Amino acid sequence: MENNILYNGYPSMEEIRRANGYPSEERFAKGPVAVTECVQEIPCNPCEGACPFHAITVGEPITNCPHVDEDKCTGCCTCVSACSGLAIFVIDKTYSETEGTVSFPFEYLPLPNPGDTVDALSRAGEFICKGTIVRVKNTAKNDHTPVVTMAVPKKYCDDVRTMRRLNIPEDAEFTPEEHVEYMDDDVLVCRCEEITAGEIRKAVREYGGTSVTEIKRRVRAGMGLCQGKTCSRLVTRIINEELSKAPSDVLPATSRPPIRPVTFGELMDGEEGGKHND
Amino acid sequence: MIKSADVVVIGSGVIGASVAYFNAKSGAKVILIDRGDMAEGTSSKSDGNILVCDKMPGFDAKFAKASQDMFGPLSKELDFDIQWHQRGSLYIVEDEEQYEIAAKFCKDMVACGLPMRMMDKYEIHQDERYLADDLYGGLETACDGSLYPIGLCYGYALGAKKMGAELLFHNPVTGIDRDGNGFLVHSEQCDVAAKYVVDCAGVWSPVIGRMVGLEIPIQARQGQILVSEQTFRVARRKVHEFGYMLTKFGSSNYKRKVSERVERNGVAFVFEPTASNNFLIGSSRSFVGEDISNDIEVMQALAERAIRFFPVIRDIKVIRGYSGLRPFTPDHLPIVSDTPVPGFYIAAGHEGDGIGLSAITGKSIADMVAGRPTFMDLSPVSYNRFLKQ
Repeated sequence: MENNILYNGYPSMEEIRRANGYPSEERFAKGPVAVTECVQEIPCNPCEGACPFHAITVGEPITNCPHVDEDKCTGCCTCVSACSGLAIFVIDKTYSETEGTVSFPFEYLPLPNPGDTVDALSRAGEFICKGTIVRVKNTAKNDHTPVVTMAVPKKYCDDVRTMRRLNIPEDAEFTPEEHVEYMDDDVLVCRCEEITAGEIRKAVREYGGTSVTEIKRRVRAGMGLCQGKTCSRLVTRIINEELSKAPSDVLPATSRPPIRPVTFGELMDGEEGGKHND
Repeated sequence: MIKSADVVVIGSGVIGASVAYFNAKSGAKVILIDRGDMAEGTSSKSDGNILVCDKMPGFDAKFAKASQDMFGPLSKELDFDIQWHQRGSLYIVEDEEQYEIAAKFCKDMVACGLPMRMMDKYEIHQDERYLADDLYGGLETACDGSLYPIGLCYGYALGAKKMGAELLFHNPVTGIDRDGNGFLVHSEQCDVAAKYVVDCAGVWSPVIGRMVGLEIPIQARQGQILVSEQTFRVARRKVHEFGYMLTKFGSSNYKRKVSERVERNGVAFVFEPTASNNFLIGSSRSFVGEDISNDIEVMQALAERAIRFFPVIRDIKVIRGYSGLRPFTPDHLPIVSDTPVPGFYIAAGHEGDGIGLSAITGKSIADMVAGRPTFMDLSPVSYNRFLKQ
């Protein structure tokens, strides 16, 4: 239970296999292939539309985890920069006799240069081995998500997923961005129910909504399949902006079971008893 | 600060919103007050069924039918989309014994002028193809409908506002004083002087009643509901088990053949398709104070009972459970009435029928306040009936 993305912040191999599947060694032997590591059932599907070979399927509902058709995938890396969750990688185990490559999204400056030797890190951000930069792709099509291809010993291809940032200042400190961009009225905030920022603003201005639950009652934001997991922060932000409240002063939505969707059959057949408190 | 109004309505659930709407419509200056948000209590934790089929023959059924007949016009009259659909409802009977009880009930309801008819096994399976094969028959009520309950509350409240009513939310009432011929209602934000006060606080109406010395015999009867994902059309309209009647009134000697957890939690199958392509599964009944947490055993029993009637539901996902409190009265009828305190009215205690009875309740209270005759004798829902006992 504790070896999962909710506890660790990164998915386990078991979760990836269950949610997305993982390419077979036969497929790896044929050349580069995309690996999706997206296990959280969020309403998101840019990867599906980005793939020029229609190799990625999310389908309906939009909260499905993506699945790669390994026969159609050419390892072109288009999906790597298209994924807003930075959860897609391309692995090439045929790079050389001893080495394979891992292509990953890298949104930090400075970018490395081909030929650089860098620290190759695991999903957890821990050092695994040294890697050599093969290619850095950062065209307009990448839309500010450069894709770095790095060679590492073949045996680490399933474990290496990024590199250590370069030139981190000694006294580096996280400072939140001060300027937050205003969301246009036509931005979809609740993707499950397709509710826009404009509709949420209307629920605050005209219908007097003051909390996430009150907005939900007025315009259905958060009533869909993901039950507000994705939109509640954005709704909170809009309420903050509209009413000049601090985020901590905006009441969150009531959480209700089940935490994730379960079938009626699973519910009926589950263990007896128990009580869920809000 | 002192405000003044003709009518102060306390509680902005569906009943309070309707009472505010119809009073504003008859020309009164209305102030609608709630301790929290619009529809924050029972009205946002309900389903949207507008039924006559689950009423008792006689007054109960006539009162419900009068209300139901108002929703067609209201859906045009209100600015907010209330998603009113009138597709009828279907009761399912499981065996011959239930069929006989249902047939007698059907006959009595038809005598009250309601469009009900019995259906045999073949007919119900033609009507709803996913019903379990063994189900015995059914009872159709052609006039039943459904709507979006929270939308209805908004429709009434925004409609009242448009006609000059003032809405004061997040403003708990703290006390009520008699003031000459009227009242002074104290609330956190302001005091309101008014000639009439209507207590529409549902489960919490006894608290308001006590402020003027009235004991109101309403208690909370909890119910839980499961929400499905958006999916294909399992059933085209509202379907429920006839056993629902038996659990609602608890009056028949007939015992359903159900599991202990279904029996223990008063679970009876209710299916309601929504306008958003989800469906709701109810129902449960229990007295647990004001607890609105979800009980896993109740959720399991709801799932079990739903699968018994529609086996295809087994593989559909539950995305949410919720729980609310019905304002229960000892005789299952609401209180829509004046009281021994002149000028103080009660519109509460509709148990699970508040959404459906909201229209006629609001209309009747507005008539009483304005001194007009009500559409029929409302003594069965008078407050006085509890004083005689």
